[in-house]
Amino acid sequence: MKIFLDLLWYFKHEKRAYSIGIATLLCVAVLEMIPPYVIGVIVDGIKDRTLTSDNLMKWAGAIVGVALVIYCLRYLWRIYLFGASSRLARLLRNRLYEHFTKMSPQFFHQRRTGDLMAHATNDISAIELTAGDGVLTLVDSISLGGIVILTMATTISWKLTLFALLPMPFMAWATSRYGNMLHERFHLAQEAFSTINDKVQENISGVRVVKAFGQEQAEKDDFKRLSDDVVDKNIRVARVDALFDPTILLVVGCSYLLSIGIGARYVVNGEISIGELTQFTILLGHLIWPMLAFGWLFNIVERGRASYDRVDALLNVKATVVNQAGATEAIPSGELRYEIQSFTYPEKETPVLRDLHIALQRGQTLGIVGKTGAGKTTLLKLLLREFDITDGDIKIGGTSIYDTTLSSLRSAVGYVPQDHFLFSATIAENIAFGNPSASQADVEAAAKLACIHDDILHFSEGYQTLVGERGVTLSGGQKQRISIARALLLNPEVLILDDSLSAVDAKTEQAILDALQANRQNKTTLISAHRLSAIEHAEQIIVLEDGSIVEQGRHDHLMEDNGWYATMYQRQQLESLVAEGGVADGDSQTRRVSQATS
Amino acid sequence: MVIRRLAAYLKPHRKSLLIAFLLLLCGTMAEVWTPKLVQIFIDDYLTPGNFDSTDLTYLAVGFILLHIAAAGFNYFQLVMFNKIAQWIVQQLRIDVFGKVQHLGLEFFDRTPAGSLVSRITNDTEAVKELFVSVLSTFLQNTVFLVGVFAMMFYLDVKLASYCLLFMPVVLGIMWLYRHFSTKIYHISRQKLSQLNAKLNESISGMNIIQAFRQEQRLRKDFSETNQEHYMANVRNIRLNGLLLRPIMDMMYLLAIVLVLYFFGNLSQHSVVEVGVLYAFINYIERFFQPVIQMMLRLSQMQQALVSAERVFELLDDERMAPTQQGESSPEVRDGWIEFNNVSFSYDGETDVLKNISFTAKPGQTVALVGHTGSGKSSIINLLMRFYPNYRGEISIDGASLSAFTDEELRKKVGLVLQDPFLFVGDVKGNIRLANDEITEEQIYEAAQFVQADSFIQKLPKGYDEPVVERGATFSSGQRQLLSFARTIALNPKVLVLDEATASVDTETEEAIQEALEKMRKGRTTIAIAHRLSTIQDADLILVLHRGEIVERGTHQELLAMQGLYHKMFLLQLGGVAS
Repeated sequence: MKIFLDLLWYFKHEKRAYSIGIATLLCVAVLEMIPPYVIGVIVDGIKDRTLTSDNLMKWAGAIVGVALVIYCLRYLWRIYLFGASSRLARLLRNRLYEHFTKMSPQFFHQRRTGDLMAHATNDISAIELTAGDGVLTLVDSISLGGIVILTMATTISWKLTLFALLPMPFMAWATSRYGNMLHERFHLAQEAFSTINDKVQENISGVRVVKAFGQEQAEKDDFKRLSDDVVDKNIRVARVDALFDPTILLVVGCSYLLSIGIGARYVVNGEISIGELTQFTILLGHLIWPMLAFGWLFNIVERGRASYDRVDALLNVKATVVNQAGATEAIPSGELRYEIQSFTYPEKETPVLRDLHIALQRGQTLGIVGKTGAGKTTLLKLLLREFDITDGDIKIGGTSIYDTTLSSLRSAVGYVPQDHFLFSATIAENIAFGNPSASQADVEAAAKLACIHDDILHFSEGYQTLVGERGVTLSGGQKQRISIARALLLNPEVLILDDSLSAVDAKTEQAILDALQANRQNKTTLISAHRLSAIEHAEQIIVLEDGSIVEQGRHDHLMEDNGWYATMYQRQQLESLVAEGGVADGDSQTRRVSQATS
Repeated sequence: MVIRRLAAYLKPHRKSLLIAFLLLLCGTMAEVWTPKLVQIFIDDYLTPGNFDSTDLTYLAVGFILLHIAAAGFNYFQLVMFNKIAQWIVQQLRIDVFGKVQHLGLEFFDRTPAGSLVSRITNDTEAVKELFVSVLSTFLQNTVFLVGVFAMMFYLDVKLASYCLLFMPVVLGIMWLYRHFSTKIYHISRQKLSQLNAKLNESISGMNIIQAFRQEQRLRKDFSETNQEHYMANVRNIRLNGLLLRPIMDMMYLLAIVLVLYFFGNLSQHSVVEVGVLYAFINYIERFFQPVIQMMLRLSQMQQALVSAERVFELLDDERMAPTQQGESSPEVRDGWIEFNNVSFSYDGETDVLKNISFTAKPGQTVALVGHTGSGKSSIINLLMRFYPNYRGEISIDGASLSAFTDEELRKKVGLVLQDPFLFVGDVKGNIRLANDEITEEQIYEAAQFVQADSFIQKLPKGYDEPVVERGATFSSGQRQLLSFARTIALNPKVLVLDEATASVDTETEEAIQEALEKMRKGRTTIAIAHRLSTIQDADLILVLHRGEIVERGTHQELLAMQGLYHKMFLLQLGGVAS
């Protein structure tokens, strides 16, 4: 029941809804006592032949009136109670979402998307259930149960009430127990279900092996075996699930037998009338629900509490990257300086960057090359403050990026990530992602710079074409160019291209680079690449190896050095030649390479 | 149409259905008889003051027995109907999974894996709900309602007829509820899935959202969808408040008024049996719960039918995997492979292979080299008979590729894939797969032959070492060796190799190369090679470019040509040198 304390802040927040809801529930409980009473009176009237048609009309009218009032009140408490619990779900979902938007990449690296989703869906549903049905079952089982028992005991016979109630606690106990069993078995059934889900997943991703080795039949047999298990587990669930109705039937039957058997004796004694006995049995019928509710309450509360704890823990995680005290709002610009002694990812041992000093004049381009894992992406992500440097600094225009607010820093930096992530929206919306109020002309201009405009026009709905699962399937190169356009639209002070030209062909790459040079005068650009042609033109090129700079300078300079850069450059020249089918007149180059490599 | 096909799945379970139905009838009868006993007690014993103790004991025992019987029958009936629903859905699931096994690769190329998985698991799960609803909720509650009415007619025809007047009203409310709830339920579900999709997308793309400072906007966007979902929920609460339980409770009270009025009026001019009144009130009380239960299921059913439709769509897909044509069933004896003027296109528009002709004589190695997209993999795909619609002729030992039985082809043509796929299970099972003809001894031999034995022996459980999803606990080199052993255990006549591009450590690399060399001995081999150094001894090297063979010959001949192959070779030499 501690969950209700945990949720107290919300009950206070929704004071009105909950008080009206609960008050209405109580009213309904009281009003519900009237029809059984009327029935008792009429039964007695019929039996004693004292019922007049006037009286009959009056009582009938009374029940109709009560029925209408109860109808309205029942509608009302549903709106108030369930409305409030829905709003709690809405509130928690918004909070979680807002919280997610404040979390740094580390948070998302440490948790699986599936788990985060589960918190936002299943856990919130469980909490919503607690705040709605949980409150309802609590109030109803106490109030309605209490009022019914009180009515039975005070207006009819407290002795009979005691007898009739004897079997009832068993029902509350049984439903609570069944509830737990059901939960356990349901969990097992879910697991079995996810096993066949995994099996199907495996089967489909391994379809070539299955076919090449003629494993179709074996796979079918295996699937049958697993689905047998699903059936077994589900039948186990059904075996418990089917217990509820018969148990209720039996317990209520016992209660009826006791009250009618013993009640008959009181009728004969004259302690109660036959009408009262009828009233009593009807009231007994009204007790079934509160007893059930009492059993359910424990299950709802238990699950709600576990879920609330999980969501609460998630909401209490602090962001690791935050604005520092006194950070300026001014948008940074000017010379870009990396002064990193060393950088190690949180919870990792070995540094990924070491002794890194770069100074880049405003308007210059920096090319970053090196093997996979050399630290290229890390270098770029530090500038975006996806992670914070502990030993060193990055300055723009002489101001540390840590003395600038996150927002100002990020407004100065345009980012094209390695994994070109697009949103399920139209192409235009994706390009205008950073500035939704951009005009169509702006969007098209950015698309033209990124050499994607013509491709877009080829789609049936042009810029309004949907991207993503329900939309058009884009090639890797198209996705890359759209994410380049997305960054270019902002015309940022510093542009980061993190291996963002890998999936476009050589000609397009050149066109994009030319467009960048023409349009980004006085703006700084950082390009990391595997294909050296993408950074050949840069004013500064650094070659990274294991987090340190091993070669640095302009292209010509690096070629003369004849180190990693030069070797790599020649190799890639040849590679592109091969990709072209080897028919281009690149013989002179081939000779050069063969000399260089032999 | 969908309903008829679903109903066909009931057929094999006729007997069980009949038994379950009989149980249901018995349970319902027992249940609806209990108020009648009370009526007898009140009218024949209590009112006249007749307290014959043996009669009363009979009544009490009868009352308890009826309850126990009702509880017992109902329990077994509930479990049985549920079982039947489970069996049916299992059959449906096995059918659809089995169907997918025999679909061709062109189907898999065009169907996203995620949606396919969801079709086989989630959609069939929704169909299960449909069967559970129909069999459990609808059948049971209908039978129960009929039972209640039967008893009411038995007690008093006139009043029962009056009560029957409630039926059209109740049905009308049900219709109204269904009418609105289908829409609202649909919207609510749609909003929820939008909400989840947005959340999921935002979590995956959070770094972009933050880098572009769009947190505020997306928060607003999310909270708008959240609000829409809330509004749909509120509409749902309203609808349930107006047309579900509260209205049925009101109907219950109105029905009570009717019964009271009827008996009250009757009592003005004749004697009324109080017990009958009691019984009627009791029946009325039991009447409305089943109605509510049925109403709650209505909107879900609509959704389940949509799922069923999707499942049947998959069952009807005609893109089957190519199978044997004709009756000749030739055998692969020597492994003489011939491609004669073969052209092929995946989409029927652009050819990925153009006029490919070559011969691999028994025991020879033919290597395919070329840039990504040059058509190497397509040649292998055709030879493995993964795609049927090629032009030209492919033959093995003089017989057309299409003439072989699946079994013969899969046994004699061994494929080693670039990305060695391991199944969840153990090492042994991954070598043997489901082929019972392969003995333990042969498994060890195969592993020794490809030099996988040494690393397997070092595993904590050796050959019984568990393999997790996609073999993630093994290095890529180890996975390759295991997949070699799998192929060698079959002792195929023809070997089809798709060499891995992934780099492995030198030690494993050596083991792999040695194993490959041994495997190729005595077998016709068609190999895709990324590292030219591994195929220098090939009898024939085909250099592919954009679907055509542009150069062919042995390593030395090709080098002498100074063409594309020569350039590739130089490139790789450089790669080795750096």
